[in-house]
Amino acid sequence: MIELHGIEKEYIRGSEKVHALRGIDLSIESGELIAIVGPSGSGKTTMLHILGCLDQPSRGVMKIDGVEVENLPESKLVQIRRDKIGFVFQQFYLIPGLTVFENVTLPLLFGRKKINKKKIMSLLELVGLSNRQEHKPNQLSGGEMQRVAIARAMVNDPEVIFADEPTGNLDTENSEKIFDLLKSLHSSGLTIVMVTHNNDLAGRAERIISLKDGKVQTVQ
Amino acid sequence: MEFMKLAFNNLLRHKVRSILTLVGIASSVAVLFSIISFNRGFERGLTEEINKTGLHFMIVPAGCPHEVASLVLHGAVTPKFIKSDIIDEIKGIPDVAFASPMLITQLPNRAKDRLDLVHGLEMSHVTAIKTTWKLDGTVPTTADGVIIGSAVADHDGVKVGDKVQYGERDFTISAIVKQTGSQDDAFIYMPIMALQEILEKTDGLTAIGVKVSRPERIEEITEALSMKVPGIQIVTMNEVMRSLASLANSAKILSLSIAVIAVLISAVGVMNSILMAVFERTQEIGMMRAIGASRLDIFRIIIKETVLLTSVAGIVGIVLSTIAAGIIEGFVRSVMPYVPSGKMIQFDPWLAVLCVVFSLVIGVLSGGYPAWKASKINPIEAIKG
Repeated sequence: MIELHGIEKEYIRGSEKVHALRGIDLSIESGELIAIVGPSGSGKTTMLHILGCLDQPSRGVMKIDGVEVENLPESKLVQIRRDKIGFVFQQFYLIPGLTVFENVTLPLLFGRKKINKKKIMSLLELVGLSNRQEHKPNQLSGGEMQRVAIARAMVNDPEVIFADEPTGNLDTENSEKIFDLLKSLHSSGLTIVMVTHNNDLAGRAERIISLKDGKVQTVQ
Repeated sequence: MEFMKLAFNNLLRHKVRSILTLVGIASSVAVLFSIISFNRGFERGLTEEINKTGLHFMIVPAGCPHEVASLVLHGAVTPKFIKSDIIDEIKGIPDVAFASPMLITQLPNRAKDRLDLVHGLEMSHVTAIKTTWKLDGTVPTTADGVIIGSAVADHDGVKVGDKVQYGERDFTISAIVKQTGSQDDAFIYMPIMALQEILEKTDGLTAIGVKVSRPERIEEITEALSMKVPGIQIVTMNEVMRSLASLANSAKILSLSIAVIAVLISAVGVMNSILMAVFERTQEIGMMRAIGASRLDIFRIIIKETVLLTSVAGIVGIVLSTIAAGIIEGFVRSVMPYVPSGKMIQFDPWLAVLCVVFSLVIGVLSGGYPAWKASKINPIEAIKG
């Protein structure tokens, strides 16, 4: 589904040139549950930027469903993010003031799609928040906010979900719940790629890609 | 959900900041709206008032036309005089309907220990010259009858039939002019002969007002007059109007520039406030970009926030200025050199619409930069290592 060949990424930070990715070759099959791990500065975040079409590689080829994306203009990348990708963030990023229901429908606004109330309700049911649809983010716990964010990531029926430290701001109990939720989505056929520091959770993924100094160190 | 709802929600997230910014724009729009309304009312009032004087031109001693202008409408004390015998010469010119002598001065009012503004005139001309007056009482027919303005009457607590003393003479108040809202309210109107006697200037006049029977011949008449009588100046009502308008113009330009500057300053305030909100929401905007918002979508959200804020502010400003019209009018009256009587600020729906459109444009202009900045936010801001 996603193929990376010789992906490199360089960027300038201050006066320093950072070589964040140094030749990544990787392929992600449809329906996989992958954990990307590695120490700080290993290139995990940069890799997620590139996989999620948020940024483009300096060199190398990346294909999504057979389409090369590394030279696509921003407008096309937006479309790919909108149609094929769902994002879950460490800080949840729910919009304060909007209800749970409205937060979940946010991507539809950008895709100019109609809101299917039944579908939104079934997503909220899936993440266990069907009775909280009118609540505002400040009335929710961290775990609940992340579940809303997962429902939001699902609203466009993506092929893959990229999760950046999805449990990084949660306690153990809530981390478990979120992981279980991701796992259940995965068992229904969704591809999930998550970056995590949590070795315990990473160990329960199908495949662990361990990065170090911008290179894939091991794949388990 | 719609973009507008998202924009509205964003404004509500910082209520105090949004309200303060709104107050800034609203008050400057209010000032702008009031000033434009006032200026329009001023021009309208001026034309009406000039048309109501019932005179076509004034003859005054040669001198400053501005003096003449204020004299014509509401009287002013000037140190120069013209001889009263030229009235007969004026009357001798064809098509002159009547010539009305005026003598304006200050007289000591010993009973009240002050100087009164006294306007001497031909009492038989009052109804022809002061067409807008409404009188309590009747125009005096005797040499010792006076008409007094409402402000004087109110201040002194006098009524028709009471006596006032000027020089060694007693006068009876035979009429009180109902409030006109103009300087007329502050005058005492006295038969001109009586005033000349008190001043011991039996042949001195401040001005002569002339009405002609064929207004289309004004030019020829005034030409004939200036040939015949030396040392006078003839000022037609059109010239008076122009002269007053030019006097008022500097005040108008000044007040308008201040209002426009106020609007610009508040527009900078709007820009600052929205820019701040954009910076605070960098990560959130990054998130929106990541989940499928295009650059244009982000631009739209921010510009809608700004336009929403400034349009609401524009409407609030117009409501405020309509409510406070009286206060604003009082203030402007106090700073303008001459203001016609009557209510100046009148609500004009078209002007209100124009002001709201103007605030909308201000919104687009001041929101443009922050919106452009926001649209440049990189989606990777949502995921920082």
